Amino acid sequence: MRVLFFAHLQDATGCAVTDLASPSPLNHEQLWAVLLERFPGLLAHRGNIRLARNWEYADAETRFGDNDEVALIPPVSGG
Amino acid sequence: MEIEIQLTTSPIAGKIPPPASGAEGAWLEFRGVVRGEENGQPIAALEYETYPEMAEREIRRLLEAIAAKHPCLAARVIHRVGIVPVGETAIYVGMAGRHRGEAIALLAEFMDRLKQDVPIWKRRALPAAFREDDVRSLILPQKKIETPHVVSCKSLDEAIAEIISRCQPLPPVRVSLKESFGRVLRETVSAPEDLPVDDRSTRDGYAILADDPSESFQIVDAIHAADWKPRQLQRGEAVRVATGAVLPCNGVRVVMQEHVERNGDHIRITKREASLNLRRRGEEVKAGQPLVEAGARLDAGKLALLATAGCTQPLVSPRLSIAHFTTGDELVSPEQTPKPGQIRDSNSSLIHGLLQPFQVELGQTHLPENFDAAWSQLDLDRIARAELVLVSGGASVGDKDFTRPLLERLGFEIVFSQVNIRPGRPLIFGVNGTRVAFGLPGNPLSHFVCFHFAVTTALARLSGEGVPTSLQGRLATRLDDAACPRETLWPARLEWNDGSPQLHPLTWASSGDVTCLASANALMRVPAKVDSLEADAELEFLPTTGMLGA
Repeated sequence: MRVLFFAHLQDATGCAVTDLASPSPLNHEQLWAVLLERFPGLLAHRGNIRLARNWEYADAETRFGDNDEVALIPPVSGG
Repeated sequence: MEIEIQLTTSPIAGKIPPPASGAEGAWLEFRGVVRGEENGQPIAALEYETYPEMAEREIRRLLEAIAAKHPCLAARVIHRVGIVPVGETAIYVGMAGRHRGEAIALLAEFMDRLKQDVPIWKRRALPAAFREDDVRSLILPQKKIETPHVVSCKSLDEAIAEIISRCQPLPPVRVSLKESFGRVLRETVSAPEDLPVDDRSTRDGYAILADDPSESFQIVDAIHAADWKPRQLQRGEAVRVATGAVLPCNGVRVVMQEHVERNGDHIRITKREASLNLRRRGEEVKAGQPLVEAGARLDAGKLALLATAGCTQPLVSPRLSIAHFTTGDELVSPEQTPKPGQIRDSNSSLIHGLLQPFQVELGQTHLPENFDAAWSQLDLDRIARAELVLVSGGASVGDKDFTRPLLERLGFEIVFSQVNIRPGRPLIFGVNGTRVAFGLPGNPLSHFVCFHFAVTTALARLSGEGVPTSLQGRLATRLDDAACPRETLWPARLEWNDGSPQLHPLTWASSGDVTCLASANALMRVPAKVDSLEADAELEFLPTTGMLGA
């Protein structure tokens, strides 16, 4: 799957996008485990981040698969 | 409800007319303008960042949710992104309601929720020390806002263009006619003489002068297919001719034997046809006319034509040598019964079959997953002779861990390692001088897809053949799909309906699906971000080797 980082999360990870491979779809907990292993800097932001899958906010049931575009959305500040 | 959403890097106009459907009742406008301070500090500008695909969907979703509570006739939302100088509009919202109370409620709720949910961020503030000119120079020119990291991944068309530019035709060779089957002709072969070389009969019958009105004729000769017996016919004379026989002189016609009554060495014509029943010299091909053009792959029919023209040593592409490696400790050969956790290797058979029409010299080797163990097993001389190296990644070993290091150690420069498609995204393409390599993602369907756009393009280029192009067809049935951020190459069955190609999408759940491969003869190009396509929608597709009957 393709994972996108926005705003100050790019400073925390050092990149805007990364690719994760997973043989089976991941739930939130599993996805976070993979992300934090690769980007420990995300830990400080975890409580404020919402996950999106294919341009929609994920809910608790969402599974993240290999063909998905996943985005980490920090608190927004538009307008 | 009419909804218009724009994300723009350009200044938002000072006056914006209401949409047609918002012209009655209440049209309420709001502008959010950048203030001269942020967090107590004086600033010159704010920089906004967005996730455009999601921001647009989220704004639309919010508007629709709010409109379910307060009737909304029309809405227009424009958000500026990039650098926005102090005093300029960052957001413009126009709302049309039936009455002012409704419009005010709509606007208030929308702005509250936009600030909670729409992925737009104030990325940074430029301090007041920035001069106005410097701020202006940072404003991006007007362009379509895209998520930059998504477009940086190679699209299917970009990947194909890259392969075309990196693969050059290999030097041609002269081989015998039979050996040339399946190779690409590298110089145009023209007719050395007219075809046919003489006027010939197309019937078993009797040749007479074309304008001879006689009723009865004397048979003066007989000409079989292999005979050469020129003679000037006179009125009242006929020559017995066989189909394919060279006619005795100019200006004759052939009367079918069914249209004469024969009595000894005389015939009487019972029926005169309009047709002359002959093939003229050069009627099929004139001397010097191209018979087979350079760049054509030689099939049975073309070989027959070359043989007719006496071209016995055609100049063709060399026989390509291909080294194919499979890896993955979970694979066992098809003869074996897999133990728990194991599967039979299908990719070797798939690649072997897909390469058949190209008449290549193929060596296939299974390698252990352990890189050092694999490396020690390689026949490096054999690999060095291969013009094309293919590596099938195993499902249990990441491509990053095996295929890429292997290709790099073999001296290949990696040109790309991803294509924005599904299935088959982790496709690796490398070059080493005139030699090329592909790392194919492990699953059979990914193999099938990558073979048909990437490997076939490389084979065509190395051989000097025109590269395969997409064709146009129509969807036979409605296609429902969870929108994918990438273009999909969807396996399909192509059938002809009243002379036009109809594409029947095949069912596939994952890139590991093998069953659909047995029926697929085309790959439909389903654009990214499409939820569904109606039946009869026009689509591009790539024919597969199955469709070509090879």
